[in-house]
Amino acid sequence: MMLSALRLVLVACMMLAQNAHAHGGVVEEEDLCVIKVNYLRGHFKIYQPLTDGHKEFCEDLPNATESVFVMEYLHDGLANASVDFRIIRDVTGKGRFARWEDIAALEDLDSATVFYQAPAIEPDVLTVIHDFAEDGNYIGIVTANVDGAEQIYRAVFPFEVGFIGLGYWPVFIVLLIAIQIQYLIMSGRIARWRNQRKVPGPKAKIVTLLIVIFVPMLSMNDADAESGQEWVSERAIYQLRFESSLEPIEINQMHSWLLYVSADGKPVSGATISVVGGMPAHDHGLPTRPRITEELGQGAYRLEGMRFHMSGVWEVSINIEANGKTDTVVIALTV
Amino acid sequence: MSTIEAKTRVVIASLVVIAVVLAAAGLLQYRSANPQPWTEAEVAILRSLWIGSLPPLPADPTNAVADNPTAAEFGHRLFFDPRLSGTGGISCSTCHQPIRRFTDGLAKGQAIGTSKRNTRSIVGVAYSPWLYWDGRRDSLWSQALSPLEDPVEHGGNREQYAQFVAADPTYRASYESVFGEFPNLAKGDAVSRVFSNIGKAIAAYERLLLPGPSRFDAYVDAVMAGDVAAQRSAFSADEINGLRLFIGEAACTQCHNGPLFTNHEFHNTGVLAFPGEVPDKGRVLGAREVLSDPFNCLGNYSDDVDKNCAELEFARTGPELIGAMRTPSLRNLENTGPFMHKGQLTSLAEVLRHYNDAPPSMIGHSEAKPLQLNKRELRQLEAFLETLAAPLATAEKWLAPPATNVATNTNEE
Repeated sequence: MMLSALRLVLVACMMLAQNAHAHGGVVEEEDLCVIKVNYLRGHFKIYQPLTDGHKEFCEDLPNATESVFVMEYLHDGLANASVDFRIIRDVTGKGRFARWEDIAALEDLDSATVFYQAPAIEPDVLTVIHDFAEDGNYIGIVTANVDGAEQIYRAVFPFEVGFIGLGYWPVFIVLLIAIQIQYLIMSGRIARWRNQRKVPGPKAKIVTLLIVIFVPMLSMNDADAESGQEWVSERAIYQLRFESSLEPIEINQMHSWLLYVSADGKPVSGATISVVGGMPAHDHGLPTRPRITEELGQGAYRLEGMRFHMSGVWEVSINIEANGKTDTVVIALTV
Repeated sequence: MSTIEAKTRVVIASLVVIAVVLAAAGLLQYRSANPQPWTEAEVAILRSLWIGSLPPLPADPTNAVADNPTAAEFGHRLFFDPRLSGTGGISCSTCHQPIRRFTDGLAKGQAIGTSKRNTRSIVGVAYSPWLYWDGRRDSLWSQALSPLEDPVEHGGNREQYAQFVAADPTYRASYESVFGEFPNLAKGDAVSRVFSNIGKAIAAYERLLLPGPSRFDAYVDAVMAGDVAAQRSAFSADEINGLRLFIGEAACTQCHNGPLFTNHEFHNTGVLAFPGEVPDKGRVLGAREVLSDPFNCLGNYSDDVDKNCAELEFARTGPELIGAMRTPSLRNLENTGPFMHKGQLTSLAEVLRHYNDAPPSMIGHSEAKPLQLNKRELRQLEAFLETLAAPLATAEKWLAPPATNVATNTNEE
């Protein structure tokens, strides 16, 4: 408990002392571990796959073992920056208050260094692996050099390996839960709660059955896109029809669409059209990057590179820009 | 209350309990013997997975000899020839072993060194627009070239392979009968041309490796024919339930769809990194690599004069593909473990547990959602997956090293 309280005070101090973060560091923001490399921000997490599987850590690590550091970029600047990564034993004597000035003042940085990854541009995600040989206090230093500029940004984050910050808390929690359960049983609340749970009556059952039968039918009708059907853009600027070269549309087959774009019933020519799509239920987009390959006149455009790789409900957003007016048609279709 | 009355009550209560238990057991027995029939929509899904729905092999315009039988014979010999390596000890079949459905039973391929990922089966792979776990090649022949020059795999180089084919009279004759006169290797890009043709011959052979009908396909035959007796002899109640979960609650067909049980696309499903390695970035890197591959569909060595390369042209990348790997086929899993891109999971049961838990991914974003199936359901799914094992639909002679003695070769020519 003492340790936790101490940590709380420390964290509070760090938050108040903005200075400590002026040069970057890892802080918990809305349950995310965010690393600030000056104005560049990344989501920072650490795994110990051999001992803790998929469990994600933010700063302190429970074991001296193989540790994977992952930095996902929240700012594109990091994706284009040359980034290096260093871990040193904390020889600054400053612990959690260590700053870059303290590290720069060290006479021999290399002898304190336990891991160093040379600068490289990692356009997607930065991953680093280090096998800690022993418990102790360490400091991580991420350095980003944006576009080869003279300006170098750094984040410094002190952390502890072999951290057992929970102390006796779990024991107290188990005890508290046991007492609460004991109270609930003794007071007869559980018995009362069980009596309140009644089996739904026949009426409720019929209603449920009707919902189960009809709701999917309704939504299926909603989502089925027909070739030739007219779609209206979100702000009602454009109308759009499409014809698929593959009818009916099947999964896993590359095909093309003809788009017919009109405004107030008149064909729109010279439009700039871009297309994105995805499955709202599955967190993913189209497997391809379709685009307009030809304008055929009379408001017709050839859209090539369409492919759907899962059965289900897809949304295809078609952004149309013509004569300075931009609007988007969202087509929902079930493949 | 008299004791007799009390005794009667006990007897009646006991009889009621026994009756209920017997009725329940009878119902279970009845239900397992008469599983609920498939709906029309479900039958449509079963048909889509059925081997009868497999279309003819798609043409490969980038490889003019893709369907040339002489090229396949040539490729067959090359595939099993260890002289096609830096050490003289590694052939394609070192890792792609016919007895293991052209995999090797190891977490990662083992040749001169250890390769970076698990060896994938090549059965039916001619249907895929992408090769490798990360899709870093876009044709069978360009894929076949890359291990030949990988220092930890075959460890040779194209110059060496071109000279080897030129110097071996049998190979030289085969080459000339398929590709025409052997070029002067000192001229222009002749070495790369011969090298690419070695890949095209191997690809012609690999196109012959196709999956055959399994017990699952026999079951679907029976379902479509409405033949209840044949359904029962094909599938047990557990296997039927496994199949029902597969196409329903377990949502496996989101990715494992079509007659090869794969959509040939890339998905991050949050498999833990291989011990000692950072998580594999998968498709984001593969998408970049395939675009810069000199042997890709748009390159000089592609036989497609029109450069009709829709896959490359419309290929997409982006943060969504960080850590994404190509969906493997589920046909013929028997004898092909360990599974996943680095062989992280040793058994099908472990794979199913992984998808049941669906933990968040170390990098990128996992598309898998926890399934919350119980142990019995997981066992049923596993039982179903095992019904997809079957002998290949490929003549036996292609599944073993060819008889490469001189007499046979002379006869051929």
